[in-house]
Amino acid sequence: MLIAIDPHDPRSLYVQIIDEIRRAIVLGHLRPDDALPSVRQLAVELRINPNTVSQAYRELERQGVVLVRRGQGTFVSGAAANGAERSTLASAVAARALRDARRNGLTADDLIDAIRTTATNGRREDTP
Amino acid sequence: MTTTATSSAALPTTLADTSFAVATSRLTKRYGAQIALRDLALQIPSGAFYLLVGPNGAGKSTTLKLLMDLLRADAGSAEVLGLDVRKAGPSVRANVGYVPERHEWGYGWMRVGRMLRHHARYFATWDDAYAGRLARLFELKLDRKLKALSKGEARRVHLTMALAHRPPLLLLDEPIDGLDPLMRDETLGLLAEHLSSTPTTVLLSTHHVQEVERLADHIGVLRTGELRAQMTLAELRAGLRRYRAEVPDGWKGVPMLNGAVLRSATSPREIEWTVWGLEQEVTRRFADAGATVREAAPLSLHEATLALLNSKGDRS
Repeated sequence: MLIAIDPHDPRSLYVQIIDEIRRAIVLGHLRPDDALPSVRQLAVELRINPNTVSQAYRELERQGVVLVRRGQGTFVSGAAANGAERSTLASAVAARALRDARRNGLTADDLIDAIRTTATNGRREDTP
Repeated sequence: MTTTATSSAALPTTLADTSFAVATSRLTKRYGAQIALRDLALQIPSGAFYLLVGPNGAGKSTTLKLLMDLLRADAGSAEVLGLDVRKAGPSVRANVGYVPERHEWGYGWMRVGRMLRHHARYFATWDDAYAGRLARLFELKLDRKLKALSKGEARRVHLTMALAHRPPLLLLDEPIDGLDPLMRDETLGLLAEHLSSTPTTVLLSTHHVQEVERLADHIGVLRTGELRAQMTLAELRAGLRRYRAEVPDGWKGVPMLNGAVLRSATSPREIEWTVWGLEQEVTRRFADAGATVREAAPLSLHEATLALLNSKGDRS
């Protein structure tokens, strides 16, 4: 599993880690009972404060996405791989798109229409 | 903080914590007639990674030297790890890993390897295996004489000496300045690893926040010897936003917002203001004044620092 963070992203580092792990679960790169990287591993890899990683893991535990087994590490919980992660992730993507739309003076309906049209055109191009 | 104070408030300079690894009170230092630090009230919570930022000459290095009792304050007091630095200088220095900004070796003839062994004897908690590993990762040349070291090499020797005894407090004065990009990256990784294995409070002074911001959780902004703001990075993210709004012709501004606007750019129909305050409150005040907020975006730490540095000192 790869976790990428971007200091220029408007999301805080800890939210980015949570989103990245949720993304890995939705994509099937992380499955129930898989171990997450240790706090130390991820902190060193991303050059971030280990407290930020712990904070993200605690929040994921609170949401029931991961389980902490004392002395063993942090694991994807059995309940995590269902559609709930998918829809949580979709909401986050939608919120970002809406913010961008509003910034450009577009309404939610403008955005939804444009997404439908673009997705339809895209499908047409994909299927010869 | 009351609601009225929020949108026209001074920037925060005190923290809510109660346990501080470093706390100074009215700390003041003069060099002749020039004031280097004025009434500094630094608060660094135990376990924090605190960035002290500011332009050259703001008083960052002076602050660190006062905390090490390498300089004497003209007024005020400083406590480090619960010790009064004026009364317990040696104990403070025994419990702190310090990387100075300038490297003035007392023993220029000494070789790096000997310096490390010499340094180790002063610290009961010196970890020989760790020192060896740091020396390897920092690519120290142990047979070089100290006086022959480049700035970057000297920095790496100091980092090794500061980390190898796993002190409860690190005072790092521009620690990655003078290192090449690869070595900077290596150093940030080593710091992340160090924090994972050793409970440490860190005070790091820099004028390049981008490179170290991923490790930090607190910030203090120093300008011409005065602390302009001091807060957690979470507070900064939540409290400082760049607002883009559409405004009607002949717009007069937002009367209740004056004190909290750090930066403003105005064109006839669109404005971009950087405002300190709760987003809901600020957006409501913009709306009350006839403006339509299109975006309220958090700033990068670099932009936020510039905005705080450019703020007027007195906004009451």
